[in-house]
Amino acid sequence: MPISYFLVLSALLFSVGIYGVLARQNAVLVLLSIELMLNAANINLVAFSAFLQEAGVAGQVFALFVIAVAAAEVGIGLAIVILIFRNRQSVDVDEMSLMKW
Amino acid sequence: MQGALTSPVDWHAIAPELVLTAFACLVLVVDLFLAERAKWLAMPLSAIGVLATGAATLSLVGSERTTLSGSYEIDAFALLLKGLFCVIGFIVLAISFDYFRSGIRYQGEYYFLLLCSLLGGLVMSSARDLVTIFIAIELISVPGFIMTGLRKGDPKSNEASLKFFLFGVLSTAVMLYGMSLIYGLSGGATRLDRIREAIDGSGNEPLVMLSVFFVVVGFGFKISAVPFHFWAPDTYEGAPSPVAAFLSTASKIGGFVGLLVLMFKAFPEVADIWRPVFAVLATLTMTVGNLIALKQRHIIRLLAYSGIAQSGYILVALALIDPSSPGVSRQALESALVYIAIYAVMDLGAFAAAVAYARRGGTYFIDDYAGLWQRSPVLATLLTGFLLSLAGAPPMAGAWAKLFVFLATINAQVYWLAVVMGVNAVIAAWYYLAVVKRMFFEAPELEGPVEVPYFLRAVMGVAALALLVVFIYPPVITELAERSIL
Amino acid sequence: MARSYFSQYLTIGLFLVVSVGLVMGTLQLARLLRPNVPSYEKYTTYESGIDPIGQGWAQTNVRYYIFALLFVVFDVEAVFLFPWAIVFERLGTQALIEMVIFIAILALALLYAVKKKVLDWL
Repeated sequence: MPISYFLVLSALLFSVGIYGVLARQNAVLVLLSIELMLNAANINLVAFSAFLQEAGVAGQVFALFVIAVAAAEVGIGLAIVILIFRNRQSVDVDEMSLMKW
Repeated sequence: MQGALTSPVDWHAIAPELVLTAFACLVLVVDLFLAERAKWLAMPLSAIGVLATGAATLSLVGSERTTLSGSYEIDAFALLLKGLFCVIGFIVLAISFDYFRSGIRYQGEYYFLLLCSLLGGLVMSSARDLVTIFIAIELISVPGFIMTGLRKGDPKSNEASLKFFLFGVLSTAVMLYGMSLIYGLSGGATRLDRIREAIDGSGNEPLVMLSVFFVVVGFGFKISAVPFHFWAPDTYEGAPSPVAAFLSTASKIGGFVGLLVLMFKAFPEVADIWRPVFAVLATLTMTVGNLIALKQRHIIRLLAYSGIAQSGYILVALALIDPSSPGVSRQALESALVYIAIYAVMDLGAFAAAVAYARRGGTYFIDDYAGLWQRSPVLATLLTGFLLSLAGAPPMAGAWAKLFVFLATINAQVYWLAVVMGVNAVIAAWYYLAVVKRMFFEAPELEGPVEVPYFLRAVMGVAALALLVVFIYPPVITELAERSIL
Repeated sequence: MARSYFSQYLTIGLFLVVSVGLVMGTLQLARLLRPNVPSYEKYTTYESGIDPIGQGWAQTNVRYYIFALLFVVFDVEAVFLFPWAIVFERLGTQALIEMVIFIAILALALLYAVKKKVLDWL
């Protein structure tokens, strides 16, 4: 199976993620879309690492770090979302407009 | 691979990071066992930690070493920036003390997070590997998300935190995607020197262009370059002001260090691809930042937009890099380093003055700065000094910072960028001097004296003095920068 | 390479057809064989249970979120533990010390949670 399959998959996943970030209004869904983008990068890393024989396992190690960082980010993101929900009973990103210019 | 697994760690080389990690953990634990009234002790402890880290950094001066199988490098460049990060950390601690002691409940957590973020800066200075750079940039920004939202009951702080978080994570994702492509294109290298060997401009041009573009966009968010700047003013306004001071210096400089290292160490061979990108970014960043700053009435937002504009000048230096003429590249990097160092001190000074005034008898609104000279001559003089420096006017070091970048631009024969810089310096002077004029030549509307805490006053005084000394005798900083070329 | 890869999907497809057919077939067979005596009781959701009260869409206590966060801390730790465990024998004592430090720092998070009374139930 050629590597291009994986790259196309990850490119599609990345695009879906970008679409979600731009189009969704719920902060949690935006967060999930960003996770999709991170995972797209992970697919790339692992695929390259598996296909490039001389590359060693650096890509897979990189992916592990990305997973850890992504988990930390989700934890913080959800904390912020819950905080906002407590204060204003809504997690709609479009309503976040107290400050402009 | 075997060798890489078992290579010994050079503990002395990573001593500053170890010391800072230990102190961060210590602050967190000590805070847990302190009574509510004694929580402020976390600040002196953190300050000791930062000073100890600085001492550990000094103990490495003069040595060149690499460790962690080449992904971690101690050289003059790294040490200069580590020292700068320690200075930034210390000044931010000084600004935070008065602010957090009254009013905010999470003092220990704040200082812990601040030290963690600072640790990210130290790691970034030495990182010479994609993975390490990624971890460092995350370590800088992730604690920032929490620090921004520390005023839990304030909807502005909530909103600032969410905006910063979403933009921050989005930029990470974009940058990471670019990095994953680079990993593949370079045949599985993560170390920057290997990537440089692999990507020498032959073959796969569009893909290289795309991945470098992704990385630059990701860093563009971190350094709040236009058009990726939307989060910055809102985040700075909503965040606790000392956090805004930290974000606009340490976090931004961390991003610049990452960019400089990547561009100089990994992609110099494909400089033709990204040099125009930086030129466009620099022009946009300077111009848009300055034009919007003209209309600001809130001092933190003014500083935010001025900070955006200042990023533009550093981006100019990046736009000058040309591997075919090493002299020009050298001068560009030197001017960027000088600019970064001076920018950090003067920006922090301005933030410190703004926070001190807002906490002690004033507000954040520029209208209320009227007649500050009559209420507190010391604060007015110090703030004037910092604003003049930001404007690039004598007798402060900011003048040299701008001049060096300008000279580098002339030397590289990119005259149109030099013209853009000149025009922007004039626009910028307008809004800085408007604040100065208000402080000195208008009658005060608010009454009462302004009592700035002595510690903060001393720190601001030393910062202003340093800027003055550098103006009078610039080799203090230029020689350091000259020795710290990558 | 690619063709043989996709031909493996054929097996999966066959299994899919067989398994769906088996379920459908037995259900039809049962319908033919069993007696058909409909009554009201048989149409309620739980024939022998208590009738449900309120909506099925209930809100969960937000406190569970903190447990989820704590779980994430130690769940992600495992990501680093597994590769470390595999090469541990080749790495020796230094790796052991490093991992102990790593876990100790993570344990600080647990200490923090305990001191902040996160683990006490309401």
